[in-house]
Amino acid sequence: MPTWDDRLPIYQQLADRLAGALLDGKPADGAPMPSVRALASHYLLNPLTVNRALQALAEQDLLEARRGLGMYVKAGARQRLLESERRRFLDDEWPRLRARLRRLEIGAEQLSWEEQR
Amino acid sequence: MNVAPLIEARGLSLHYGRKRAVDDVSFAIPKGRVVGLLGHNGAGKTTLMKALVGLAPCTGSLSVLGLRPRHDRVRLLESLCYIPDVAILPRWARVEQLIRLMQGLHPRFSAARAESLIARTSVALGDKVSTLSKGMVVQLHLALIAAIDARVMILDEPTLGLDVLSRKAFYEMLIDEWCDGERSVLISTHQVEEIESLLSDVMMLNEGRLVLSISLEEMDRRFVALAHDAAQADAIAAAHPLLRYRSQGGPTALFDGTPSDAVQSLGRRVRPSLVDLFVALTRAPEMNRSQF
Repeated sequence: MPTWDDRLPIYQQLADRLAGALLDGKPADGAPMPSVRALASHYLLNPLTVNRALQALAEQDLLEARRGLGMYVKAGARQRLLESERRRFLDDEWPRLRARLRRLEIGAEQLSWEEQR
Repeated sequence: MNVAPLIEARGLSLHYGRKRAVDDVSFAIPKGRVVGLLGHNGAGKTTLMKALVGLAPCTGSLSVLGLRPRHDRVRLLESLCYIPDVAILPRWARVEQLIRLMQGLHPRFSAARAESLIARTSVALGDKVSTLSKGMVVQLHLALIAAIDARVMILDEPTLGLDVLSRKAFYEMLIDEWCDGERSVLISTHQVEEIESLLSDVMMLNEGRLVLSISLEEMDRRFVALAHDAAQADAIAAAHPLLRYRSQGGPTALFDGTPSDAVQSLGRRVRPSLVDLFVALTRAPEMNRSQF
């Protein structure tokens, strides 16, 4: 069964997961989102919870409702998401990561950019 | 637009001899809801469900789909489907025979719909019930009753004794094939943690009394859980939480209503879990969490 932690409301956790998929281009800009029912049965969630998650993404300007057709990924959604995620990384995550690297005395030359197999 | 609730109970009580099995219970279930009925063994869940389908006499007022279950049982069963806790399918029957039987029994049963629902599962039309696993039988049962064009479904402990994959398949079918925003389902279970995310509302029974009837959305607003450091335990306890427990390894306190800013600053707000709330409100300290 899909797991949800108890840090955030479930709809917020679903919205985060769906945003993560949008960042990978799934679905791409302009393409339809899966239906509420499909998402509900895939994640075993109440359809109202799914609706709230989609609504949250719409409020972030990532999705739009098309009359009678359901939710679509808005044009430029992936780019906007990429920018806001980059900002979040540089503002929040990077300072903490940098502090940890300094403490461990790890320099840029010691970091491998090759994917570990 | 019809906004009358599908089920409405006011001051509903049921007696077994002198014992009050359900005691002065009031609630309403509108359309499009998935309602979890939680309670320990003997709390009155099965009795309440029996009253809803007209199988048990009750006092107080009860309306299901605008009908009185005890008086209009035949008409009610045209638009209500029910899997009791003791449900069985005849072991000697083949699946196709059960479909024919249902066709003869129920005016709003669709054989085509049953066949398409069964096609979702690994059950074949020629299979005999006696050759199916317990998980397959329960899925078959759900497929048969979900093929009834009804508006209310009542499920009493439907996944009891099933392994995790069968439970998942069962709930997938329920969400996918039943929940369309119009129909409602009332479902009792001990697997509270597992169905929490499926529910829109929850009703908790304790010794026949309804101790909580709330939507999950409202629950998130009303109850506040604070994860805190052990060092803050005394200060937290002094604020009289409903319950103190451990969540994701750390001490957590559950409050009914938002505590003061001073108390809130002692911890980090987390999502209150249904299980913890259930334990807090039904107070069975001898019970082990793993029993759910």
